[in-house]
Amino acid sequence: MLRSYSLSEYTFLTAAVFSGMLTAAVFCFLFYFGLPLLQSGQLADLLFSSWSPGKGLYGIYPMLLSSLTLASLSMLISFPVSIGCSFIITALAPIRLRRVLLAMIRVMTGIPTVVYSFAALFFLVPLMRNLIGHGSGMSILTAAPVLALVIAPTMILFFVNSFNKVSPRFTLAAEALGCTKIQKILYVILPQAWPGVINGVLLGFGRAMGDTMVSLMLAGNSTAVPEAVTDSARTLTAHIALVLAFDFDSMEFKSIFVCGLCLYLLTASLMLLFRLSTAYFSKGR
Amino acid sequence: MIVNTNIKIQTHSLCFYYYKQKVLRDISLQLPANKITAITGPSGSGKSTLLMAFNRLWEEIEGCKISGNVFMNLNGQNTNIYAPALPVLELRRKVGMVFQQPNPLPMSISKNIAFPLRLAHISNKNLISDSVEASLRKVSLWEEVKDRLNDDARLLSGGQQQRLCLARALVLSPEVLLLDEPTSSLDPEASAAIEELLLSLKTKCTLVMVSHYQDQIQRIADRHVKVLNGQCSINHRQA
Repeated sequence: MLRSYSLSEYTFLTAAVFSGMLTAAVFCFLFYFGLPLLQSGQLADLLFSSWSPGKGLYGIYPMLLSSLTLASLSMLISFPVSIGCSFIITALAPIRLRRVLLAMIRVMTGIPTVVYSFAALFFLVPLMRNLIGHGSGMSILTAAPVLALVIAPTMILFFVNSFNKVSPRFTLAAEALGCTKIQKILYVILPQAWPGVINGVLLGFGRAMGDTMVSLMLAGNSTAVPEAVTDSARTLTAHIALVLAFDFDSMEFKSIFVCGLCLYLLTASLMLLFRLSTAYFSKGR
Repeated sequence: MIVNTNIKIQTHSLCFYYYKQKVLRDISLQLPANKITAITGPSGSGKSTLLMAFNRLWEEIEGCKISGNVFMNLNGQNTNIYAPALPVLELRRKVGMVFQQPNPLPMSISKNIAFPLRLAHISNKNLISDSVEASLRKVSLWEEVKDRLNDDARLLSGGQQQRLCLARALVLSPEVLLLDEPTSSLDPEASAAIEELLLSLKTKCTLVMVSHYQDQIQRIADRHVKVLNGQCSINHRQA
């Protein structure tokens, strides 16, 4: 007998298909509008030259480099903090404090990044200006800790989730044998939960690459190739936001489709990696 | 307090709470040394809870609280196991535990047995391998696994896993061994092997065992404590 779908099932199916199509449509849209530039054989120029519209150069190399540097640096700051926090939340803190901390982290995920950036504009930027000794105080180094704060809750929740999935059979067994809390984490929880840790890192990196507000407000937006982390820099996301002000017909505007495409592919490949590793690790056990 | 060396564990008005529910009420017990004490009672009556009061394992579970005292004769001294001066890790090294479901850790057979030693920061490799062998021999598992000590312990059969867990609990030579229905997930043959082992351990250990099986209690227990609605009654058995 043919299985008949109810109205609600159809509604949900339509919604799901629509969302999926939308993602694909965004890609097609970017590809379609970026195509003229890609076809003109300027792809290498676009990817590897600098941004200097006055000289007819629309390269996004500085932004690509800035995005990767900023994301990596904030990851470097955020990872140890996040893994430490998740240790505290899953094992080290007294049980009641764990709940409070977890609730606070959940709240943090909901705070708009513009709020963090705004606060940093007042507190961190002047501090960095004094520390660096030149420039406006806006730099990769200024944006990195704030971005680290933005991506930390995502990673912490992911880590905590994977730590909590470790069977209590194992943790109780280890506790009954007289393990300290640290030993429990190192010898029992981490060996079981590290696939989750890797996935959390990939997800966090994806968020760091995709965030716009923090770098737009704090990194300085200079289009020069950054030579040091104390230099002002513009990320791909901030670049798109800034170039939107240009005339639709201008070459500047057209080039941001390639920016979008780059970001899309970078984030999509991270997510693909995330999916593949999840599938790989869940098959392994 | 009267210190009697034949008494290994004493509880004084022990109450146990899980959130607002009172699981154990005013339990005052004396458990003899070098004997097997069986604890029985219907499901949810607090048998496993009573066991966990003896190695403070309940402290790892959210919502648990205890009142009253538990004294244990450890290293020849009558010790309050809830005294702040006694580190809980030290207590758990003296009071081993075997669970209802065999719970080998996700590592090799030899690493499972060596795990408590590693936790105690013992790093002498010869000492470790000797202790692993000795423990596995105690539970008659050595001959079965000596050629595959590096295999994952979870590949063993249920009965072998439970004997492995027993060996792991014995590797630090505990004075007390807590057993939470150690044979309930095993077939009769494997159960018989475990029972025989428990009897042989009486000379070195005091055993406290939760059991559902009347015939098992008849066979190996020296004393029988019934827990009902959080309260205890004792049956002295004539051996």
